[in-house]
Amino acid sequence: MYFKILLNIILGYVSIEVEGYFIERFMNLCNKEKIFLWGIKRSHSTKVRVNVGLKDFKRLKPIIKKTKCRVKINKKKGVPFLLHRYQKRKIFFALFLIIILSIILLSNFIWNIEVTGNNRIPKEEILSILQNNNLKIGKCKIGLKTNSIVQQIRLERNDIAWVGIDIKGTNAIVEIVEADLKPEIINEDEFCNIIATKDGIITKITAQNGTPVAKQGDMVTKGSVLIGGWLEGKFTGTRYVHANGEIQARVWYSEKTKIPLKQLEKVPTGKQENKYSVKINNFKINLLKGVSKFEKYDTIETTKKLKLFSNFYLPIEIYKKTFSEYQEKEINYTVEEAKSIGIAQAQQKLEGKVENKELIVDKKIYTKQNENYVEVEVIYEVLENIGTKEKIVF
Amino acid sequence: MPNKNRKVQSKVSRLLDLPQEISTNLPKITIVGFEKMLIENYKAILEYQEHFVRVSTHIGILNISGYNLNLNEMTTDDLLITGTIDGIDFESISEE
Repeated sequence: MYFKILLNIILGYVSIEVEGYFIERFMNLCNKEKIFLWGIKRSHSTKVRVNVGLKDFKRLKPIIKKTKCRVKINKKKGVPFLLHRYQKRKIFFALFLIIILSIILLSNFIWNIEVTGNNRIPKEEILSILQNNNLKIGKCKIGLKTNSIVQQIRLERNDIAWVGIDIKGTNAIVEIVEADLKPEIINEDEFCNIIATKDGIITKITAQNGTPVAKQGDMVTKGSVLIGGWLEGKFTGTRYVHANGEIQARVWYSEKTKIPLKQLEKVPTGKQENKYSVKINNFKINLLKGVSKFEKYDTIETTKKLKLFSNFYLPIEIYKKTFSEYQEKEINYTVEEAKSIGIAQAQQKLEGKVENKELIVDKKIYTKQNENYVEVEVIYEVLENIGTKEKIVF
Repeated sequence: MPNKNRKVQSKVSRLLDLPQEISTNLPKITIVGFEKMLIENYKAILEYQEHFVRVSTHIGILNISGYNLNLNEMTTDDLLITGTIDGIDFESISEE
């Protein structure tokens, strides 16, 4: 039933008004002729509204004559009539087709490359590798073999552990897992020394294997041997071993900062000026001239790629330059203020340097006062394990 | 003759467990809520008005009263009536 109505919508149907005294007869005759009627509604005592399919409508004529009814077409509905209406709008239709075709065509190219997962390797480097391997913006998606590109990259680079290229719409997502630089692992049966990684004073030294060279309280520099990988016996002579042991030492981290008492500070006035330009595949069109009317300003440049759907990027970028005005303001710090600022800055830097903050033993702050500036030095004393193994090369 | 024929049909149908409305000319009337009514195996529409529909079937006449009655779909053997249905009554043809 619903199927029949759907078919009629596709093939077109008319809603007609039948007027006469023998409408029931008209309907029964239609039934006998197997004419499908639907949506029958009495609108008046002598009038009935009926929907009839286009083909069936032509067959209605003898029945209408027989029952002496009058028929008026109310509405023409369905796909054929809709198309007929758009026949007059040929240009609209043509443009519509062109747009759809161009979307289909453009969706076969890659318009955006996203690189994720890179921390150490800069994005430009990865993009240049990709470009050498035939994956670049504006490349046709068809015939692109991501597998071979992935293999190429993995052959070329040692510092990339895993590469995945996922093409989603016009968006190529390159996922990278960076390989950790692997520490040199020395086999147990090879000979090695233990050397210092940092400067410091040794507080504790325990050698499980090998002869300790440094003593407790010794000042050692980076690279010096702490536990030698040899054993000396009275009868056996010098014998090389795989040195093993733990060395704890006091290590100092220091940070110096200078804080001038007079400083110029930027105070934004809140005035902003935006300038837009459109970039179509490396071709830039400035919509406004690029010089700002402000005397002192910061410029912030942002680009935004246009996209149709979530993953369908277009080769058009909108380039926005924001000029925000600021005024310079002179600030005079007192000595105390400058000191506290300096200490805070230095401490923040040191926190990043020290790996394990629980091992910090002592904090020392030295300040020096000059005419124009205050010098601050912050020193952290940290107890750390400073030994690493190094192969003995004969 | 038709009576005899029907009996034979019903025997076969009983054996095969066919639904009655397919094997015989009996109408099947389905009412969904008070607003939808599907009549299968009907013969003809005798009268159609907004508040009254009279449908003839092979075993009698079916009177439906209500408001805003529409004949939504009409094919050779199905008839879908929508609208608020108030009452239904049957006028069976007494067999001689």
